[in-house]
Order: sequence, then C-alpha cells, then structure tokens
Amino acid sequence: MNTTVTFDNVSRFYGEVLGVNRVTLSIPPGITSLVGPNGSGKTTLMNMMAGLVRPTRGEVRVLGISPNEPQRLCHMIGYATQFDSFPRGLTGQEFIYSFLRLFGYSHDRCVKQAETAIARVRMTGAAARKIAGYSKGMRQRIKLALAIAHDPRVLILDEPLNGLDPLVRNETIALFREMAHEGRHVIVSSHVLHEVDQISDQVILLSNGYVVAEGQIHDVRGEIKDHPMQVWIRCAQPSVLASKLFEMDHVVEARLAQDGAGVLVKTRDADRFYRTLNDLAVNGIELEGVTPLDDNVNSVYEYLIGGESR
Amino acid sequence: MMAQIASVMRLELKKTFFSRRGLWVYVLAFAPALIYLIHAVDVTRDHEHRQALAAAHPVATETLHSIKEGMTTDEVVAAAGEPYAVKTFPGGRRRAGGFRDLAIYQYTDGDSDFALVLVEGKVERINEQDRCNLKKDSAIFATVFQFFYLRLAVFFGCVGIFMNLFRGEMLDKSLHFYLLAPMRREVLLAGKYLAGLVAAATIFVTGTALQLAALSWHFEPGAVSEYLRGPGWGQIAAYLGVTVLACIGYGSIFLLAGLVFRNPIIPAAGVLLWESINLFLPASLKKISIIFYLQALCPVVASPDRGLSLLQRLLISSAEPPQAWVAMLGLMVVTLAVLVFAGRRARRLEINYGTE
Repeated sequence: MNTTVTFDNVSRFYGEVLGVNRVTLSIPPGITSLVGPNGSGKTTLMNMMAGLVRPTRGEVRVLGISPNEPQRLCHMIGYATQFDSFPRGLTGQEFIYSFLRLFGYSHDRCVKQAETAIARVRMTGAAARKIAGYSKGMRQRIKLALAIAHDPRVLILDEPLNGLDPLVRNETIALFREMAHEGRHVIVSSHVLHEVDQISDQVILLSNGYVVAEGQIHDVRGEIKDHPMQVWIRCAQPSVLASKLFEMDHVVEARLAQDGAGVLVKTRDADRFYRTLNDLAVNGIELEGVTPLDDNVNSVYEYLIGGESR
Repeated sequence: MMAQIASVMRLELKKTFFSRRGLWVYVLAFAPALIYLIHAVDVTRDHEHRQALAAAHPVATETLHSIKEGMTTDEVVAAAGEPYAVKTFPGGRRRAGGFRDLAIYQYTDGDSDFALVLVEGKVERINEQDRCNLKKDSAIFATVFQFFYLRLAVFFGCVGIFMNLFRGEMLDKSLHFYLLAPMRREVLLAGKYLAGLVAAATIFVTGTALQLAALSWHFEPGAVSEYLRGPGWGQIAAYLGVTVLACIGYGSIFLLAGLVFRNPIIPAAGVLLWESINLFLPASLKKISIIFYLQALCPVVASPDRGLSLLQRLLISSAEPPQAWVAMLGLMVVTLAVLVFAGRRARRLEINYGTE
C-alpha cells in the first residue's frame, strides 16, 4: 500500500495569480512542516491534498488516492483548515457529532468517537457549550478534534498552534508526536519557526509558490553551501583549538571569543568538521560544549528565503 | 448513501427553518393568508352590519330586483319602502343644458347592497354589490395564487432558501466542513436539495393551506360543506400540489444558481423576467419555464387579460395548456436536467472563500 503523499509537477493558478508552481514532493509519514511567508503556497498545497482545490496542472495523490474521489480520500485525511468559522448554533459536541454522521456512521459510534476526540483535545468540559462562545484557542482545538475524530491516517493542519496558550500548545504538540509515532502523516503549516524546529521530522520550505527546500533540517542546512555552518565551541584552550582548526581546508573562519571562553567556527563541511573535532578531543583538546548556531529552521529559512518570518 | 443524505438534511433543515436570515421567507409565505384573514374579518363585520340594516329597513330581494331604471323616487319608495341611507347631491350630475340633482338611495336585503342612482327623481343606474360567495372568491384566489403567490412569493422564497444552501455557506466560510466528508458531491447536492425542498414545501404549503382556510372562514358552514363536496377537495389538493411542484422546480433552478453565481440578484432577476414574459413567448419557448407547467395544473383558470393594454393583449401568444400528467412530467424533466447540471458543477466546486 502506498504510504506517501505525492505531488507530481503540480501547479495551481488563481486566474493570473500563481498559487504554487511545478511542485514535486513525496511526503512520508511523520511530522512534516510547511514553512513559508504569507502567500507562499502553504494553504494551496494543503487544500489540494484535501481536494478543496484542484491543481491546474499535475497530479496529487494521498496514499495513492486521488482527491477527485472524496468518498475514499476523506476517510483517510483529517483537515483542520485556517478558516475560523463554524456552522451556526452548534455546541462543540453537536458539531463533531453532526459531521461524523456525514461519514455514514451510526448514532452510537458518532457519539463515542466525538467524545473520544473531544477528550483528546482536552475540551470535554466545554463540549456542551455553543461554539460561538468559545475563545480562539478553544475553536482551534475543536477544529482539531473534528480533524482527528474519524481516526485519519493523514492529518493536515493549517496553523494549528495559533491562539493556543503555552500549556495547551505543548499538549497539542505531544498529540502530534503521538500520532506521528503511530505511523500517521501529520502535515503542519506554521509561521513560528522555533515551533517547527521543535516538532518537525522534515520541513518543506516554500517561497512565492515554489518549493525552495525539503527534507530533514540538518540535511537541508548541509546543502546550503553559500553560508558556512557556524559552531560555537566552549573549551579551556581556545587558541590551541583555533590553530588546529585553521589547518582544515573546510574551515573558513575560527574566531576567538573576547572572554576567552571558546571559539566560533565557520565550516563548509559540517560532517567532516565534527569527525575532526572528535579526533581532536581524543588527542587531548578538552571540549566543554559544542553548539551549532545555525543548524535550525530559522537560519535555513533566513538563508534560503531571506528574512525572519516572525 | 441514504444515511449521508439524511445527515446532510438534518443539518440543513435546522439551519433553514431557524435561520434569522430566512425570516423574510416566512413573511412572504404567510402575508397573503393574513390579508385573506383581514378580508374575512371585514366581510363578516360588513355582513353583520347589513343584517342589522335589513332588520331596521326590511325589504325582500325580489322587490329590489324588481326596481328598474326609469322608475321615479315615489315608485321606488312605494315598492321598497324607505332606504336605510339617502345621499343627495344638488346639481351633482352634469348634463347637456346644465347641472341636475343627484341622489343615491341605499337598500340591503341583508346579503347584497343596492345603490340606486337617481337623477332628477328617476332611477338612472342600479349598483348591486353582492355578498362574497365561494365561486367569486375562488376566482380571486386563483388570480392571486398564480400571479402573486407562485410568481413572487414562492419564487423569491425559493431564491432565499435554495441559493443559501451553497452560497450562504460560502459566505459563512463553512462549506469546507461538508466537502471534507467522505461523500460524493452529488450526494451532498441531493441532501441539500431535499432539505431545501422539505423546508420550502412545508412553509409554502402551510401558507397555501392557511390562505384557503382564511378565504373560506367567513362563509356559512353549509356553503363550505357544499363547496367541499363539489370541486372543493380536488381544488385544495391541486393548489397544495402545485405549491410543492413550484418548490421542486424553482428550488432546482436556484440551487444551481447558488453554485454558479455570487450575486443572487442576477439569476433571480433573469428567471423572474423569463417567467414574467412567458405569456408573450412563442409556444415552443413557453415550455422552457416553470410557470407554464404550474399554471396548467392550477384548478381554476386565472385570466391575465383584464389588466393588460390592447397592445399587450395582441402580443400574447397562446399555447395549448398541457394535460396534467404532461405538465408534471415536463416539470420533472426540467428539474432533473437542472439538477444533473448542478451535480456536475458541484463536482468541480472549490473552496476559495477569499474571492467570495
């Protein structure tokens, strides 16, 4: 059975306006973050996965199913959209229950699954209240509950952490991890880069409708040759270490800290650098700590797209 | 699939029946019944008033019918007694050679009102105002039903109900919840259409029934029983059936319009214009409309000629009204064709709230 979400040379135009262009992707199970500024095409990609928008060109497949077959696809996917709107007059429980009934499930099954989903997002206490009276964070969670209520294999979440307080945010991230560990796809879009760093198994960086980079953060970072990797090394003999490092051809800069506590190193080949550093440690250089400074989404984003998102 | 249709209907019915935005549909549906009720109260009070006048100034109906034009005032009073009211207008009637005195003598037999117009002491004209009867009122009802209720009330009610099924959700940004359910778009369309139909039919059939009840309310029970034993039940069933068929036909058109147009005014105005000029269309084009079939099914023929100018009457195109079964079949074929087209549109439907 196919276990990936694939985009094969997919383009989408809104009249003259470009949504996404020539996107080819294969998304494996795990947590995948779509990262990019407003208008970069994140929501368009998500809408195409869910069949809410169709590609102008190319083909999308979710676990081998075309979005043109909603009767099969929607059993597999759960989508929490960015739209902060709900059918009028419903309580949280009625909302989940009513839309589960659209799946053709029995009354009892819908009641049970609605309760379970609401409990998973910690909304049991508010389930009997009208959604119109919910806070932004509660509305986000009830949307998430609907997305997970039918136990989908692919969870698509557009800015799911917006409006959540820190405690709920951590609980929600834990839920994403749990679902990813169960072998599901959790595809998340976010502006908040440190969160993406924290939760993602892989990232897809988008800019102006194009996929700029995709893969695990470290791999993507390693591919950016224009910006040497920066590593901060705390050690007792920084000048000795700096002189040893200068002998390596991939080290482009080694700068001693003003307080003499360590060395800031810039290298074009992180893997070779770490191997060499291990050798130096074995041969008597005492290292107190090694911290990569720009091996994260924030830096990757800045180098590739040019500027901090938020 | 049936369970999914039922689930869509459950959600939609609640929304359609209890939507604050849809209150005006109830006004459209029930305002005519209220007008008929006011009319019934007025007729009842008028009848009671005439009965009281007849008791004070008794005169037989035959006597009043025996009064002819040219009789003098004295002859009239000798035959019918003193009138219950006399209005005099000295010099009130212009004639060749000057102004003549005018008087109006009013009599009643308790049911009808007779106004004798006397000029210079001679009866010139007799105006008889009958008490309402079921035959006359059913003709009035036929005209109101066909030219107001079907063409405007049910028509715009269906605009409000059926266009809202998709377009309203687009505006509320809540349509995606439906599109994320594992069902074919045609199933969603069927569920929404049936929900709209149940709501529209319930509201407008109730409206029609209330109109008929209000219309017959002021008649003697005996007259109503006689009417029901005659053509009554058949006519009532036909009016209720035509109301349902109107909802079926207009509903399908405005469901499609909600999928195609952003602004409901444009399709509503277009269809209204097409339905209104139906009288003047060639026979072949008449058949591509809803009102053509609905009017053919109405039990009492309502003539549109009276209010039209000579030129308009000349432009009217006559087409042989189809038989009832042909009319129903024609309406169903038109509806089905529209729904099939709507299903194809629904399959291509995308969520793009930003442009709504």
